[in-house]
Amino acid sequence: MFTSTQIILAVMVVAYIIVKSLKVSTELSMFLAALAGGLAGGVGIPARHIVEGAFTYLDIILIFITATLFMNLLKESGGIAYVIRGILRKFHRRKSILFVLITILLLIPGALTGAGSVTVLITGGMIAVVLEYMGISKPKAAAIIFIIAGLSAAAPPVSLWAMLTAAGVNMPYVGFFLPLLVPCIALSLLTIFILGWRGKPVNLEKAMKELPEAPHRMNWIRIFIPFLAFLFLVVAGRIWPHSLPVIGLPLMFIVAAVITFSLSPVKLNFLQISRNTVHQLLPLIGTLTCVGILVQIMTLTGVRGLIAITIVTLPVTAVILTLSLVLPISEAVLMWGAAPVLGVPLVLLFNTMGLNPIVALAGMSIIWPLGDALPPTAIIGRLTKDTARMEEPYSQLLKYCIIPAVIIMAVGILMVVFSKKLAFLTLL
Amino acid sequence: MIITILYYIITAFIALLIIWNFIKSKKWQEEALYIIILIPFLLRLLRLK
Repeated sequence: MFTSTQIILAVMVVAYIIVKSLKVSTELSMFLAALAGGLAGGVGIPARHIVEGAFTYLDIILIFITATLFMNLLKESGGIAYVIRGILRKFHRRKSILFVLITILLLIPGALTGAGSVTVLITGGMIAVVLEYMGISKPKAAAIIFIIAGLSAAAPPVSLWAMLTAAGVNMPYVGFFLPLLVPCIALSLLTIFILGWRGKPVNLEKAMKELPEAPHRMNWIRIFIPFLAFLFLVVAGRIWPHSLPVIGLPLMFIVAAVITFSLSPVKLNFLQISRNTVHQLLPLIGTLTCVGILVQIMTLTGVRGLIAITIVTLPVTAVILTLSLVLPISEAVLMWGAAPVLGVPLVLLFNTMGLNPIVALAGMSIIWPLGDALPPTAIIGRLTKDTARMEEPYSQLLKYCIIPAVIIMAVGILMVVFSKKLAFLTLL
Repeated sequence: MIITILYYIITAFIALLIIWNFIKSKKWQEEALYIIILIPFLLRLLRLK
């Protein structure tokens, strides 16, 4: 029984490696590996399971698209440029305050959308300009943006790794807010201060020249109203749960997007921005859909059970000590697929050991994004390199990521080990 | 009921965007991916799943 499942797993791995070596994208490689698994498992090409798998993360995909549309509309309306120019004008002499505000600006897009790439695309380019005019080298600036973009993706309210794993173990996505928020903010600040401490006050005149102009009629009210509306919808649902219907995050983001569109001082092409949003998110939506299919076929053929049993029966100390390697590498190979494939058995293991599954999963969620800099995918790492207009080799970016990455891994593992003592963060 | 209808509208809008991008795309890998991600949106719209 085990041998046949191991053979199916081997077929899937070999199919993935062969297809990937033919320069096929990671998403399609996962899809083809799933098909190969189905064939090897004697179930042929199971259409019903492919459809079932494609539906697994539809709700998360909707959040993803609507949130990114909101952020893109804000960017196109000149809101992001206005905020960055405003902050720079006011705090260009005060490095510490500027660093804190830059961190917040980098954290918001990823936290709302769950995607580090959105942070890189929405605010990364402009922040890179600011950091450059503080005398911080481009590889260092890129490393700052990459690490904080990764943490922003893990930050609440939308943390895909936590959401996917929680869904896999039938655990409600509740109680994650503080266990994710506290380390993400602390580690982001630590990263920017470690890598940017040699930065000088910004050369305001030069930086302003390079940053995109904000429309004349743009102001703070136009920027804050959509966020306040979004916040109101989130909070109102919790304050009056019996009076208000559950409208869901996608609809909340659509409301915020429509308000941003209506308040924009410049005329926006809604259709074009929406099209660009879907195109920009294609690799990410594709990953989620293909991962759903892959996991479904793995479940159908017993491969998922094999992985789960193997992990659960490993020595616990070895599992915890190797988290810092296993999680980033699995992210590099499977991207978010790592969460349902490896995250689920790990959380089940931690739960049976008496650890707090929420805090432990939050600890794992902050380690996973580090894998986005590693080959074969390295989508966000390379995207950051391009956005920061870095001409040096990619290895330079990786070099500057090492210290923050080690700290993040240590914090993540400590969160897993001491999850029981940190359970108060869940507020449950 | 209203919320359900709104979600169908959002789903239809995204499905249209995917089809539009699929038509405009010139890379086979992108086209294949657009078809795969279109499956859940279309089936949900057709109320088949």
